[in-house]
Amino acid sequence: MYKFNFIYELKGLLRNGWIQLLSLLLFALFFFAFYNGHEKVNKRKSDILAAHQEVQESDQVMLKQLDSVERGMEVTASPWTIPSKPMAVGNYHPRVAAMDPSNLAFISTGQSDLFTHYVKPKTSGDDLALNFTEITNPVQQLFGSFDPAFVIIFLLPLIIIAFTYNVLSSERESGTLRLLASQPISLASWVLQKMVIRLFWILVMISVILTIVFYINGSDRSIASLLPVFGVTAGYILFWFALAFIVNLWVGSSAKNAIALIGLWLLFVLLIPSTLNQMGSTLYPMPSRTLMINQLRNAKAEATKKQDEILDNFLRDHPEYAINDPNQGRSFYHRYMASQQLVREELQPVIQKFEGQLQNQQQWISQLKWLSPAIIVQQELNALAGTSTRDYESYRKQVTAFAETWRQHLLPFLYNNQPFSSQDYKNLPVFEYVSLESDSTAKSTLVLAMIALGLVGLGFVKGMAYQSSRNIITP
Amino acid sequence: MIHSTFIKELKELSRDGRVRISFLIVVLLMAVATWISKSQYTTINEQYQEAETAERHIWEAQGEKNPHSAAHYGTYAFKPKYPLSLVDHGVDKFTGTSIFLEAHKRNEAQFSKAADQTGLARFGDLTPDFVLLFILPLLIVFLGYNAFTKEKEMGTLVLLKSQGTPVGKLIFGKWLGIFTPIFITVALLFIVAGIVLSNLNDFGVFSWTSLGVMFLVYLAYYIIFINLVLFISSKMKKSGISLVLSLGAWILACLAVPKAASNMAESQYPYPTRQEFAASITKDQKSGIDGHDPWNKQAKMLENEVLKQHNVDSLEQLPFNFDAYRMQKGEEHTAEIYFKHYKHLKTQFEQQSKLYRNLAVLSPFLPTRFMSMAVANTDYSTHWDFADAAETYRVDLQAFLNGNFAENSSYGEWSYRADESTWKEMPAFDYDPPELSEILSRNSSNSAILSAWILGSFSLLFFTTKKL
Repeated sequence: MYKFNFIYELKGLLRNGWIQLLSLLLFALFFFAFYNGHEKVNKRKSDILAAHQEVQESDQVMLKQLDSVERGMEVTASPWTIPSKPMAVGNYHPRVAAMDPSNLAFISTGQSDLFTHYVKPKTSGDDLALNFTEITNPVQQLFGSFDPAFVIIFLLPLIIIAFTYNVLSSERESGTLRLLASQPISLASWVLQKMVIRLFWILVMISVILTIVFYINGSDRSIASLLPVFGVTAGYILFWFALAFIVNLWVGSSAKNAIALIGLWLLFVLLIPSTLNQMGSTLYPMPSRTLMINQLRNAKAEATKKQDEILDNFLRDHPEYAINDPNQGRSFYHRYMASQQLVREELQPVIQKFEGQLQNQQQWISQLKWLSPAIIVQQELNALAGTSTRDYESYRKQVTAFAETWRQHLLPFLYNNQPFSSQDYKNLPVFEYVSLESDSTAKSTLVLAMIALGLVGLGFVKGMAYQSSRNIITP
Repeated sequence: MIHSTFIKELKELSRDGRVRISFLIVVLLMAVATWISKSQYTTINEQYQEAETAERHIWEAQGEKNPHSAAHYGTYAFKPKYPLSLVDHGVDKFTGTSIFLEAHKRNEAQFSKAADQTGLARFGDLTPDFVLLFILPLLIVFLGYNAFTKEKEMGTLVLLKSQGTPVGKLIFGKWLGIFTPIFITVALLFIVAGIVLSNLNDFGVFSWTSLGVMFLVYLAYYIIFINLVLFISSKMKKSGISLVLSLGAWILACLAVPKAASNMAESQYPYPTRQEFAASITKDQKSGIDGHDPWNKQAKMLENEVLKQHNVDSLEQLPFNFDAYRMQKGEEHTAEIYFKHYKHLKTQFEQQSKLYRNLAVLSPFLPTRFMSMAVANTDYSTHWDFADAAETYRVDLQAFLNGNFAENSSYGEWSYRADESTWKEMPAFDYDPPELSEILSRNSSNSAILSAWILGSFSLLFFTTKKL
C-alpha cells in the first residue's frame, strides 16, 4: 500500500506539472535572492577595501610629511594638520574600524541596510559623534530586501500551503475518497503519507537548488557552510507541513483549508512578530533621542565653561602628565581633550540607557520567539549571517573601545608635549573585528522539529476521533 | 439584474461566518493599530515640543560669546510630525529626526527609530497603513475568490445562463456586492480616523481634504484588487485554484515586487557610503576656500580683491573684520560644495523613484504606497524638503553670525564677544511641509499610474470576459 501510494502520488504530481512548476519557481526565487544577497555583500566588501586603501594612501602622505619635519624641512600644509602633532594624527589620520561580512552574510540582509560597516573614530569628538547609520533611500529600508531569508521565511510557507492545502479535500471533492475509504488504511496515516511524499520532494528540491545556486553565484566557500541554514530551513518546512497536515484533517473544503492556512501564515509571519515588537518597545521603551540631545548640549556647555578648571583637575588625576607640564605649552587640545573626557564620562550612562533598553528588548524577544517559528528562523538566519541586532551592538561596542584605545595611545604624546614621529607610526593601534558566534542553530532546528512532531501527533489524535465519529466522505 | 445579483451577493456574504469574522478581525486590527499609533504620536509630539523649546533656550542663553564660537556651538533642527502620519507612518521610522546645524558642515538627520529597534521590527509594525495596504486587499481576496467559481461548482451558472442573463450585468452586480462592504468599512475607518485626528489639539494642522485624497487613493487601490480577484475568479473553474492564484497576485503585488524593486534601485543607482560621501566633500573642500586657512590660495585672492575694492593696503584698515568676512565667504563656498554633493544624492534618489514607477506596472501597491506617504507627509521627498529647509536656515544662521562678527570687530580681534541678547535676534527654525496641491503635482505620475491600473483592470474584467 505504501509503495503504491508513493508511486501513484509521484506520478500524479509529475503529470499535473506540480513538481516541474515548483522546481522552476523555487529555483527562480532562490537564484534571484542569492544574487541580491551576494551583490550586497560584494558592495560591502569593496566599500571596506576602498576605505583601507584610502587610509594607506593618506598614511604614505603622512610618513612623507613626518620625514620632512624630522629633517627640518618646511611642510606645505595647514599647520594644524602636520602629523608631528599627535592630535593631527588622531583627527586627520584615523584608522578604519570595519565590520567584515561573515561567510553567510548573503543569507540575510537583517539590520545591515540600516548600519554602516566601517567608521573611522577620531581622537576628538564624543562617542555620539560616531554615526553608525548609513545614508540610503529609506524606501529601500521600508520595503526590505529580496534576500534568501525573505524567500525562506515569507515565501516558502506560502508555497507549501499551495502545495498541500487540498491534499484531502481534493480527493473528497473529486469523489475518489469513497474508493479510499474502502481501503484498510486510516485516514490520518494516509494523509500523512501524501504529506511526507511532498515534504520529501520539497526537501530534495531545496537542497539541490541551494547547492546549484550556491555554486552559480560563485561562492568560494565549501557547501558545508550552508548546512546550518539548510537545517533551520528544513525545521521550518517541517513545521508548515505539520500545520498543513492538521488543517487538512481538521477543516474541510479546499478553499476553507486555504483560508485557514493563510490566516495562520498571517498570524505567525506578520501579526505575532509585530505585536511582540510593539509589546517589547512598550515594556522597554527607548528613551527619547531628542531629549538626549538636550542633555548632551547641557553637558557640553558646562564643560566648555569650565575648561581650565577641568584641565587642572585632569592633571591632578594624571600626575604622570603633570610632571611634564610645568604649566606651559598648554594648547587648545590640552584643555579640549580633558573636557571631552569629562563629557564622555558624564554621557556614558545616557548612552548606556539606550544600549541597555535594546538589550532588554532583545532579551524579551529571545524569550518569546518560540511563539512564532518565523521569529525563530529570522533570528537564526540573522545570527548566522552576522547581521542581527546583537552583531551590530557588539560592533558598536568594539568600535567605542577602539576609539578609546586610539585616544589613549595618542594622549601621552599630547600631554607629554612629545611630537609624533615616523618611528611611532608602526605602533599605531589597528582595529580587528571579532564576530559573534551563533550557537543556537541546532537547538532551534530541534525545537522546530519537535513542534512539528507535536502537531502531527495532534493531527493523528484528531484524525482518529474524526474517523470514528463522523462520515469522512462528506465534510 | 444588477440589483438582484448585488442583493444576493450581499446576503450571502453577510451569512457567511468567515466573512463576518474576517471583517471583525480587520476592524479590530485597525482599532488596535490606530490606538497604538495615536499614543505614540502624542508622546513623540510632546517630546518634540519639549526638545524644541529647550534647544531654543540653550541657544538664547549662551551668554556673551564670540559669534564664531556660537556657530560651532550650533543648534538643532527637529523634524515635526504631522497628523496624517498617524494613518501612514511611511518612511518616518527610517529617517532621522534631528539635524545638528553648525559652522562649516551640513549634517545628516540623526537618530532613526529603526536603528534603535531590534531585528523583529523588520517584520513590519502593526500600524493603520499596514492594515490598509496589506490586510484589506487580503480581505478582498477572501471575499471575491469564489464569486464565479462557486456558481460554476454548484451548477447555478448554467441556470443563470439559461435565463439569458447578460454577462456584463452579472459581473457588475458581483462587483458591487464586494465593493459596497469594502467601501463602507473603509469610509467608516477614515471618518473615525478623521474624528480622532481633529480632536488632537495643538499638533499641526489637520486637513480633511488631505484625508479625503488619501481615502480616494486607497479606494482606487481596492477597486484594482476587486477587479483582479473577480477576473481570476471568472477565468478559473475551481475555487481552490482561484484562491491560490489571487493570493499569488497579492504576494506578488504587496511583497515580492516592492522588495525586488528595492534591490534593483539599490544596485542600479547606489548612494555612496556615509564615509565616501564625507571624503568626497573633504576633497572638494581642500581645493576650495577654507574659512580657517589664511594660506589658502583662493583666500589670498579674495584678500587682494577686497583690499583693492576698498582702496587700502592692509587688512587692518578695512572698516570690518576681514577674518569674519573671509569666514563667511568660506561658508558660502562650503555650502556650494554641499549643494553639489547633495544634488548628486538627489539625482540618485530621483532615478530610484523612476525605477519604482516603472515597476508599478507589476504592482498597484507601489503607486498607492508612494501616494499615501506623500499625502501623509511621511515620504522621502518630505524628508528631503525638511533637510533642505534646515540647510537654508543653517546658511542664514552662519551669515547672521559672521555678519555680526565682521561688523562689530576689527581684523584679528578674536577676543570679540557678542552681546548676550544677540542670539535672540536670529529667529527660530520653523518648517512648513509642502501644500497638498504641490504634493499632488509632484506625484502626478503616481496618480496617472494608479488611474491606468484602474482602467486596465476594469477593461480586463469587463471586456475580456464575454463568456463565463
